[in-house]
Amino acid sequence: MPAGAGTAPVAFISAELVTDVFLGAATAFILLAVAMFYRVVKGPSTQDRVLAVNVLGTNTVVVLALLAAALGEPSLLDIALVYALLNFLMAVAISKFTVERGGVL
Amino acid sequence: MVSAFGIALFGFVLATALATALLRDILAVIVVFAAYSLGMALFYAFLLAPDVAMTEAAIGAGVTTLLLLLTIATTVRDDVGIAIERPNLPALVVFGGLLVVMIGTVTQFPALGSRNAPVWSNPEVTQYYLEHSYKDTKVHNAVTAVLAGYRGFDTFGEAVVVFAAGISTLAVLGREVFTRE
Repeated sequence: MPAGAGTAPVAFISAELVTDVFLGAATAFILLAVAMFYRVVKGPSTQDRVLAVNVLGTNTVVVLALLAAALGEPSLLDIALVYALLNFLMAVAISKFTVERGGVL
Repeated sequence: MVSAFGIALFGFVLATALATALLRDILAVIVVFAAYSLGMALFYAFLLAPDVAMTEAAIGAGVTTLLLLLTIATTVRDDVGIAIERPNLPALVVFGGLLVVMIGTVTQFPALGSRNAPVWSNPEVTQYYLEHSYKDTKVHNAVTAVLAGYRGFDTFGEAVVVFAAGISTLAVLGREVFTRE
């Protein structure tokens, strides 16, 4: 934690509090993911499901970044990057599948 | 707070696993399975296994969905009216037996850092790798150092086998699968 040279840092915010806040935010995002998963299960059409899983993927990227900050593990950011890069793959694959099969599945 | 996150994540993974097992529509199952993979990757990251989480990200989000889609593209999707599969009783019995065995195994694990753990049956070897792995390979994670450093040729051989399997699968398929009959 960067402190001003010579001056003692005033500890308004402890490291434990930071960890708790980030983990609490990650927990809230997981609860949002559960809510979004309702649409994945219920979604009448495949397109609804794919879109919902795309949202879940973006959600995962955010949770991974929050975990990286909370646990002090910068390497988790790499996984978040990989997910952000791969998130579109399933949407593209299912779109191609739908088009080639003809019509809406 | 750590346990609250763990419980929420566990609930999410449990919901996705149940939906994967019980949904009837195959295409929906493939999509739901991708969500399950997201939850598992978060679990691996939460338990500080970033390399496993990275593998899950590449395999679960990318390759598995594509392979399953390619498979149902070449097969027939039977359209049954029901949305939820009725659980199969013999399968449930097998599942219950497996669950009992696995819970029994997990409870018998030695505690973290226990001196009675089997890994300490040969302390000189364990200690050698813990002390020398960073000096020898400049890799912080001792497991990664053993996997990619000390037995690097073995891991390379495994990668060659997987690559050859992928190439031969492509050769057997031999054509674009996503085509209209």
